[in-house]
Amino acid sequence: MGANSMLAEFSHDLDDQISQLMQCKPLSEQQVRGLCEKAKEILTDESNVQPVKSPVTICGDIHGQFHDLAELFRIGGKCPDTNYLFMGDYVDRGYYSVETVSLLVALKVRYPQRITILRGNHESRQITQVYGFYDECLRKYGNANVWKTFTDLFDFFPLTALVESEIFCLHGGLSPSIETLDNIRNFDRVQEVPHEGPMCDLLWSDPDDRCGWGISPRGAGYTFGQDISEQFNHTNSLKLIARAHQLVMDGFNWAHEQKVVTIFSAPNYCYRCGNMASILEVDDCKGHTFIQFEPAPRRGEPDVTRRTPDYFL
Amino acid sequence: MDSSSHMASLPEDIITDEHLQQQTQPASASAFASVPQRPPTKSSSEKYAPLDWSVYFDKEDDVAIPESNDVFHVYTAGTEGPVVFCLHGGGYSGLSFAVSASKIKEKARVVAMDLRGHGKSLTEDDLDLSVETMCNDVLAVIKELYSDSPPAIILVGHSCIILLTIIGKKLLHHQSMGGSIAVHVAARRSLSALAGLVVVDVVEGTAMASLIHMQKILSSRMQHFSSIEKAIEWSVRGGSLRNIDSARVSIPATLKYDHSKKCYLYRTELEKTEQYWKGWYEGLSDKFLSCPVPKLLLLAGTDRLDRSLTIGQMQGKFQMVVVRHTGHAIQEDVPDEFATLIVNFISRNRIGPHGIEIPGLRKPAFSKP
Repeated sequence: MGANSMLAEFSHDLDDQISQLMQCKPLSEQQVRGLCEKAKEILTDESNVQPVKSPVTICGDIHGQFHDLAELFRIGGKCPDTNYLFMGDYVDRGYYSVETVSLLVALKVRYPQRITILRGNHESRQITQVYGFYDECLRKYGNANVWKTFTDLFDFFPLTALVESEIFCLHGGLSPSIETLDNIRNFDRVQEVPHEGPMCDLLWSDPDDRCGWGISPRGAGYTFGQDISEQFNHTNSLKLIARAHQLVMDGFNWAHEQKVVTIFSAPNYCYRCGNMASILEVDDCKGHTFIQFEPAPRRGEPDVTRRTPDYFL
Repeated sequence: MDSSSHMASLPEDIITDEHLQQQTQPASASAFASVPQRPPTKSSSEKYAPLDWSVYFDKEDDVAIPESNDVFHVYTAGTEGPVVFCLHGGGYSGLSFAVSASKIKEKARVVAMDLRGHGKSLTEDDLDLSVETMCNDVLAVIKELYSDSPPAIILVGHSCIILLTIIGKKLLHHQSMGGSIAVHVAARRSLSALAGLVVVDVVEGTAMASLIHMQKILSSRMQHFSSIEKAIEWSVRGGSLRNIDSARVSIPATLKYDHSKKCYLYRTELEKTEQYWKGWYEGLSDKFLSCPVPKLLLLAGTDRLDRSLTIGQMQGKFQMVVVRHTGHAIQEDVPDEFATLIVNFISRNRIGPHGIEIPGLRKPAFSKP
């Protein structure tokens, strides 16, 4: 009875937090800490190759565009009515990384079996100090404690997911060091994203038209050709690799004769790129449907002081 | 190195040399009030004394262009590896890369050229800073240095990015013409002299939006200096450069002595070249993105990338590194970090003295156990 009432109370608090976050209002620092502690417990039990059942809706990068995430839920359906799989990059670039990642983590804690959240290359201490999340936390909380709490939690995010044993989902792409899914299962993933190596590759690599492995122009990870993805899919009895990481103007893009698909879920990326976003619905008969969407109606951009330019010739 | 007291902010109006001295006097007086008077450990003039280029580069040369009266000054360092060919920004000189060159030369060769109207280069028209003219200048220098067999070149450009993309394309074109014979291609194991492109702190969208402010920025600089030491001091205390060692070697080359006024002025009259500025930046993002070699964009802050570069970066078309705690002149303010980024870029992309291994010869994929 005591345990049940505590659980009920916790769920009620969590529903209040989710309701608050849905209005794009940040949680308190204390609430964030409690939320992340609970999330850490849940994520600790998840595999580096987290199994996911269909039906599920697979989503790409969000990058702090909270109102577009809300639009995604309007179009794809509310969680937990719809099952979701997010492939990383919740923070940086957009103006609402705090609200975005808080909401996704809160939903994960509230409905752990209904939503899967993977790690992207931006779920990292080093990247977030440069591309906005750190500065946003400072601005909204007055100190870096929330940034530290979240970046510690990011280490626990699963690296990949496997939908019905057929669709391999991850943020970036393949690695020359990884032949089988068991290679991934055997990692210790609880660490900062390394600069190179298999864990780095999973979060940074991109598919390429050219065959074989290539040096990624990004400076981390590899490019991989159709021969590589075919071999990987065959070895692991996969039908599809679904990944994010790259902006594609239609929100999704097929590659390698429809064996690799890129899904990007931040419409009008960085409030300037003019791209569509999309999500991929996998129904319980394993049918695939892409749903494209446009940015949520624009609200006034928050005031980001634009300073007079300095000498730059 | 003890840091000097830093001016809180640069006043809007022009600062004369006398004004600067007056500004420092009160601080000095209050310092004396609280501390017993004794000689400073290092005088101001000693701290800001010019440094010779030979501390950092191995050699300097004048490159005379045939059938013209133009002579371009180049500084070189290193003896092995590909050539890091450095193009400075407007108002700077080849010595802007001096401190970082001393680090890069451990892994690659460095050539830093004084562009037209800058440094020790002398041309018939020092005010013609059009893209076409400067592009031809750089190609002519490369031709004089290497004739028809250039080594692999990583072009590094501070601001004048459009030069890079146009030069890059002409290097590709030049090489493909000359290298169309199979034996040449095989012998050089390279399809192109251009092996990499590094752009330092410029984005078309941001630059174009800011050009209207540039004349005001130029005129708000201190214009006259009683000595080279004063000019160096101003560049550091005024905040345009943050590394004293780099300023001591690079600032002297940006000055000239006016005998009638008996003071030092800027060597490059940038304000008279406004007609060319737009051409330096227009269309550069798309041209940068379409250049088919490994590319690195270094920015001094999370700059507001324009649409093309944002899309290109998010599609994985190039590497971007945001360097923190630096101003516009990244290669001067943080020379060690800058040099490391260049050397790592060369290493990661496997750029050797004769270029990148051609795709057909790429090693087959292998997996580690």
